[in-house]
Amino acid sequence: MYGRKVKLRFFFVVLIITTLILSVFLILKSLEENVVYFQSPTEIKELTDISKKKIRVGGMVKNSSVSINSKEISFVITDFKNEINVTYSGLVPNLFSEGKGVVAEGYLNDKNFLTASKILAKHDENYMPPEVKSALEEK
Amino acid sequence: MRSKFFLFIIILIFIIIFLIFYKGLTNYSIYTPKINIENDIPVFSANIFDSDLQVSSKELFDPKKSYLLNIWSSWCVPCRDEHALLMDLSKDEKVNLIGLNYKDRLNNAKNYLNELGNPYSKILVDETGTIAIEWGAFGVPETFLIYENKVIKKYIGPLNQQFLIEIKSLIK
Amino acid sequence: MLSSTIGYYSLILGLCSSIIIFYFSIINYQDKILDIKIFYFTFFQLFFVIISFLSLVLSFIYSDFSNETVFNNSHTTKPLFYKISGTWGNHEGSLLLWQLVLTLFIFIFLFKSNNQSKQYRILTLLFQEIIIIGFFIFIIKTSNPFNYIFPIPKQGLGLNPILQDPLLAIHPPILYVGYVGSSIIFSSVLAATILNIISRDWASHLKKWILVTWFFLSLGILFGSIWAYYELGWGGFWFWDPVENVSLMPWLTLTALLHCVLVLEKKIVLTSWVVILSIMTFTLSMCGTFLVRSGILNSVHSFANDPERGLYILIFLFSLIFLSIFIFFFFHKQNIKNYSSFFWLSKETSILINNWFMMYFLSVVLIGTIYPIFLEVISSQKISVGPPFYHKLIIPFLFPFLLAMAIGPNLKWIKSNLENKVNLILFFVLSIFVSSFILKNSDQKFLINTFLLSSAFYLFFISIRDLFTKKLKNFSQNIAHFGFSLLILSILLNNIFSTEIIFNLKESESFEYNGNKIIFNEIIQNNQKNYVSIIGNFTIENFDGKIDNFKPELRIYNQPNIVTSEADIKTSFLSDKFMVMNLVQNQEYFNVRYQVKPFMIWIWSSVVLICLGALIGFFKKKNEK
Repeated sequence: MYGRKVKLRFFFVVLIITTLILSVFLILKSLEENVVYFQSPTEIKELTDISKKKIRVGGMVKNSSVSINSKEISFVITDFKNEINVTYSGLVPNLFSEGKGVVAEGYLNDKNFLTASKILAKHDENYMPPEVKSALEEK
Repeated sequence: MRSKFFLFIIILIFIIIFLIFYKGLTNYSIYTPKINIENDIPVFSANIFDSDLQVSSKELFDPKKSYLLNIWSSWCVPCRDEHALLMDLSKDEKVNLIGLNYKDRLNNAKNYLNELGNPYSKILVDETGTIAIEWGAFGVPETFLIYENKVIKKYIGPLNQQFLIEIKSLIK
Repeated sequence: MLSSTIGYYSLILGLCSSIIIFYFSIINYQDKILDIKIFYFTFFQLFFVIISFLSLVLSFIYSDFSNETVFNNSHTTKPLFYKISGTWGNHEGSLLLWQLVLTLFIFIFLFKSNNQSKQYRILTLLFQEIIIIGFFIFIIKTSNPFNYIFPIPKQGLGLNPILQDPLLAIHPPILYVGYVGSSIIFSSVLAATILNIISRDWASHLKKWILVTWFFLSLGILFGSIWAYYELGWGGFWFWDPVENVSLMPWLTLTALLHCVLVLEKKIVLTSWVVILSIMTFTLSMCGTFLVRSGILNSVHSFANDPERGLYILIFLFSLIFLSIFIFFFFHKQNIKNYSSFFWLSKETSILINNWFMMYFLSVVLIGTIYPIFLEVISSQKISVGPPFYHKLIIPFLFPFLLAMAIGPNLKWIKSNLENKVNLILFFVLSIFVSSFILKNSDQKFLINTFLLSSAFYLFFISIRDLFTKKLKNFSQNIAHFGFSLLILSILLNNIFSTEIIFNLKESESFEYNGNKIIFNEIIQNNQKNYVSIIGNFTIENFDGKIDNFKPELRIYNQPNIVTSEADIKTSFLSDKFMVMNLVQNQEYFNVRYQVKPFMIWIWSSVVLICLGALIGFFKKKNEK
């Protein structure tokens, strides 16, 4: 016969293992749901179907493509091969400007239009997001 | 026995993490343009300083001659330091010194040249900094030695006497 | 020139004295009493690092541009205060500061550990010297702050304006004290494991170090997020940015460690936990340094990234990890004799539960931070993990966590019964009532928010009750828990009731929403010492007739050429009104964000309360002895 202590110990071990498995499962599942993938305009052109998930698009802001009205800002992101139109109504970072690297996060309307919910540009003259860097190098 | 097994597993996990971090180190995130040594010069077109004329790289660079392209700006302090050397170089007739005015205001640039002198035979304007990226420049100042439409040598940061001697000997 | 030379050579002398200490410690290990020479050389080591640090500060003050670090990070037009703070606003200088804190701490440790056994002190010193020597070599080899440049430039490149801020000037030193404090904990725990002297006395000796470290780490994180709140203009205080996560992770393990040591002080249980958590805290602090400095993570902290440095830290870090794993497996003995079991309903259990929650939160943050790195290396896919991931995984578990936190401190050691059951339930009903009353007008996610809010209120009420009924018996714990409940409460209310509106406006235009009218009166431009300031003058006519004036500012710095936004924040007792304006290149429109954020000041003050709790705990023990 096992003593009460051993039983209790066994119970604890089982409890711990189940919670461990459960939390790993939970983490992995929500990781899959909440991950944002990065794509270049060229990769978007090559997509066969438009997913409903949030994505990030990176490239350069095309020269003289920025226009603004009281509600939104629109501009074109280019990787010098393909382009994508972006509309955005939110706060623009200070380093956002034409001819500079930019990353826009949002949802695709179709292959040519992105509605952005966030725009990222960094506080460093020489800085270029690594995603943009490799997207530009691939051209 | 059990603890040895755990030890083994934990060490294995850490070795894997180490390897992944190690590989991750190689793709770091500052934008480093490819250095185009012995590479063809980029094809581009730019406005000529203080005019509306546009010039393309084909018209600008004669394959039989050697050129020195210097990226400068009036707000860049090290540019001031190397300016005297550039003035010195411009006296040498074998050198065709071309300036690329990087992200500058026209008036500031004019004042700068009036104050320190104009060593350049031609000045191109790069308002947005895109041409400098085409050249693979890190920042200002930067100088490229060009011969037969190829970049032979690239100098990052201000020139000094030693570089000057090297440039002169290369041109000969 | 001169100060650079002095600085460099005193660094090398510092390294020499570290090696001498190391040598003497090994020789002295078998002796009965601690060799006085060790004291001298620990002092010399500290002295040389101070000299080296001061000479770097002097180079910054006198704008000595023959020094590469000064050239890269300073400028003559910079105000004196930022010249000084520029010393640690860069990679090389911050490492020197790090080294300063390391040597200072080991010096204090030697003096304050008189009542501990001699072998323990020597061993701790040995481990600490390994770390110190590692950092000396790192500084001298890969990031020497005293490199010359020739010819001497006339002007420096300037400090990133975004770092020119009083809070950010003190944020790094405080955070470093926290990080470095964890190294002392690491060394002493390894030493105690080897000697197998983990005892109650030792626990209360270690507790002081943990409290200091925890205090500074919390304060450092607080300053960092206050800075992010008003300087980055993103209108929040925590963004789950990798760099923020990196400072949060050691905080989580340290918090768990603090609670474990409290148990250890009473009874020899949970020793493995203490050892593992100490190793983890230090590893995660170092890992943070590695991730930020090597450029694997990119963020607002723009240190110059250099793979060589990253490689050095990586190898150093992993050697320490392997060393500690070996020590743990070969020396750590679970004290079976003292392994008395405890009843499921006891203080021990509640602290164990706290630990498991902390471990869970830690693994969520850890995975969210490093998973993108792993994926990129393995499959070269680029992803980012955003706030929804963290919110989804952490928020549901806050509910049981807060309940356990409310009940735990009221339990007794070893075995206890729930006293005043009626009382506890009454409080719970009260908190549900209060929170549903507050939330009755907000329709979104009513159920979850009510649950969360009521658990936060529950902890709040219980800790207030304890503050009065316990009669200062456990004042430090009470005040820290009270602060934490206030923190969670204000964060929740802040999240639920924040409103924001973003719009683009031209000068002298106006904009209306929900009956409020925002008028952009004019732009005022003037020149400051090292930047051009553009101030937008806005008036907001609220629907209830109140009028607010806002003056958000844009600063265009000349050296380096960077634009920053200075938000205009009107802080009041109940809420912050926050307006920030941005420039869109070559456009007449300005991009404006206006937010009303309730209870911001409560968030900050509750963290201060938590830190205060740690401070009280630190001094209380001292008085008793």
